[in-house]
Amino acid sequence: MSDRSSGSMEFERAPIESYVSNEAKSNVLSKSKIRRAKILGIIMLLLSAVVMFVLAPASQGIATFGLSFPDDKFQLDALAIPSTAALYVLAMVLAFLGGTQFLKGFQRKSTLILGISFVVFVISIMIWATAGQEFSLISMLVSTIARTTPIALGALSGILCERSGVVNIGIEGMLLGGAFTGVVMGSLLGGWIGLIAATITGGILALLLAFLSINYRVDQIIIGVVINLLVLGLTSFLTAQILVGRPEWNDAPIFPAIKIPILGDIPIIGPMFFDQTVIVYAMFGLVALTTFMLFRTRWGLRTRSVGENPKAADSLGISVSKTRYLAVIYGGMVGGFAGAWFTLGTVGRFDEGMTGGAGFIGLAAMIFGGWNPVGALGAALIFGFSDSLSQKLALVNTSIPTEFLAMTPYLVTIVVVAGLVGRARPPAADGKPFEKQ
Amino acid sequence: MAGAVLTVAALALAGCSSSDSTDTAATASESAAESATDEAVTDALPGAGLKACEVTDVGGVDDKGFNQKAYKGVTDAADQLGVEAIVLESQAETDYAPNLQSFVDQGCSVIVTVGFLLGDATKEAANANPDIPFTIVDYAYADGEITNNNVLGQVFNTDEAAFLAGYLAAGTTKTGKVGTFGGVNIPPVTIFMDGFYYGVQKYNADNGTNVEVLGWDPAAQSGLFTENFESLDDGRTFAQNLVDEGADIVMPVAGPVGLGSAALASELGTDKLMIIGVDSDQFESDTANSGVYLTSVLKQMDVTTFNAIQAVVDGTFEGGVTVGTLENGGVSIAPFHDMDAAVSADLKTQLDTIKAGVIDGSISVKG
Repeated sequence: MSDRSSGSMEFERAPIESYVSNEAKSNVLSKSKIRRAKILGIIMLLLSAVVMFVLAPASQGIATFGLSFPDDKFQLDALAIPSTAALYVLAMVLAFLGGTQFLKGFQRKSTLILGISFVVFVISIMIWATAGQEFSLISMLVSTIARTTPIALGALSGILCERSGVVNIGIEGMLLGGAFTGVVMGSLLGGWIGLIAATITGGILALLLAFLSINYRVDQIIIGVVINLLVLGLTSFLTAQILVGRPEWNDAPIFPAIKIPILGDIPIIGPMFFDQTVIVYAMFGLVALTTFMLFRTRWGLRTRSVGENPKAADSLGISVSKTRYLAVIYGGMVGGFAGAWFTLGTVGRFDEGMTGGAGFIGLAAMIFGGWNPVGALGAALIFGFSDSLSQKLALVNTSIPTEFLAMTPYLVTIVVVAGLVGRARPPAADGKPFEKQ
Repeated sequence: MAGAVLTVAALALAGCSSSDSTDTAATASESAAESATDEAVTDALPGAGLKACEVTDVGGVDDKGFNQKAYKGVTDAADQLGVEAIVLESQAETDYAPNLQSFVDQGCSVIVTVGFLLGDATKEAANANPDIPFTIVDYAYADGEITNNNVLGQVFNTDEAAFLAGYLAAGTTKTGKVGTFGGVNIPPVTIFMDGFYYGVQKYNADNGTNVEVLGWDPAAQSGLFTENFESLDDGRTFAQNLVDEGADIVMPVAGPVGLGSAALASELGTDKLMIIGVDSDQFESDTANSGVYLTSVLKQMDVTTFNAIQAVVDGTFEGGVTVGTLENGGVSIAPFHDMDAAVSADLKTQLDTIKAGVIDGSISVKG
């Protein structure tokens, strides 16, 4: 279960009758592995060529990256990088990695090496775009965490549901519902009540998902879509009918950033991780808590077992529907909590459709992260990073069109979901209703 | 699995559209119409029995921006002329055509569409229904595009007003940097950013300063865009981003997204960040954060929309294009309200001179 590397997966799924021809099979496998290694090597060499022949000749001057905010306690000097020289060095690194991968291959480490190559390439793009100019790197990193938070929480919501075998397409609706009740209750009764109300809203929507999918075995994809549409319509209607006439109901307090003493003053890491709102801290806490609960507790084992093989779980006396109910409602509550980020965590007011598809990106982060909370957090960080990087690149006026920059998070999604990190495998019983026999 | 997820995401996005556009018959107009009939038959308002119908862009009639402003023109017409005001909100671009069709089917007397993005849908509907008068905010059709000349395009020389806002911002900034970002890179958005940019340059030329504009490069026509008009979260992060790069005045040109920037400004304080509103006087519409607005770049589409409806009521409607300028009051900048003290008397005099210069043509707002 815990071993999710691509190699063992192939065997896990191999049907029994192919047992005899196992040797032949492993030959085919290693052939395709060799091909994959070559392809990865070529990709890296191509990246190196882009840096070497496109980016490096086109850049001159010093690229300056600010590492501290003006009022930080400890000031770091801005990072000044001579662009052309740095790009040639990075191109060499890429060429070395690509060449080694192509000739010898890094075997199991090749995915990691590919990841490193992409990081090197992204750094090259940043240096090239910023040559002769400057931008605040620390600002980009802090904004990465802000952008990551709702995506990671959304992904977590999806993981909890799907690990138990219920597909949750309705994350976006749960976010939007949480954002709405969060702002109304927050305006009337204060931010903390708003946060609780948002969480409960998500739980109620999840109850609907659980009820229809577990008791009535309605197609889970359809319920999810219905939840999204229902909440979008309902919140838009209520906004137009109620909030427009009562602006005081749509003016919630925003949770302030809480700076943790000492830790918050550490350069770079301080502003990123220790000077944030409670929702951000809660996001990290929930990722850790959920990982522990899913993989280290009896509840987690049961939840995963009904998501993988409900029949076996049932025959061992685990109540499939009860376990699924619990996981789905927990997931929904996380989704509603995530919704509070949009109102109580950032702007203090609700507007129609304001979650802007974050739930769907969360869904992608869930798949990208292999249905694992920590993996999903990593994926969400990549989305958050590419999002804030594209903002900074737009500011330094690169020749890359802004529309293309705005596409990067989605391009990253496609590239990743298309199987670069091995095949992501959903829980075996994901989306399948369970009928007790 | 992944495939299914993406397909469903697409389904959901497409699906949001047609099914749940909120159809809100404006109560104000109903009561106006009722009271009109109540009073005296002889004294009935001239527009009684006519329907003025508005299709909004995404963002909705309560966006505190252009949809709301144009809707004010429709409700004003309901109050003063006695027409019935009806509005359909578009939740997505796929709503435009069905919303328009629904109004055609309801027998609307005049259809108001709000926004550049509705340009194609309006053109189709107008050509398919040559007898219904249409008026569209932010779009001007070329000659011959509308076969029966039944569309009045309302365009605004917003750059003239944004030019003043840029001049003002350059004269007010303490960091020597001002910023702007847009919703989508389309002309009605970038015209604000162009004017703002050249206004700053004009101030630099007049005063020997070197104020920088972040987020927009008129030569390359590229800059900072949220790519949406809904996500207030974006408004906050984009403004934060500009503040981190040193800007202390930001003009968001992205409808309600700018409200997120205003929330950040009220959190940081106006010595760190001031906002320049767009479309309507946001000091008045965004009551929660009214203190952060230095000024607003006004686009009086309520007036032009009202005039178009009045023309229909009077039977004098003609298609074509109407242009709002600084000279005819179609565009302007809002009073400084709470920020009045932050703007020096000198700068106010300079602004008056600039405004006069733009109106008489001696100052070009195109750089």
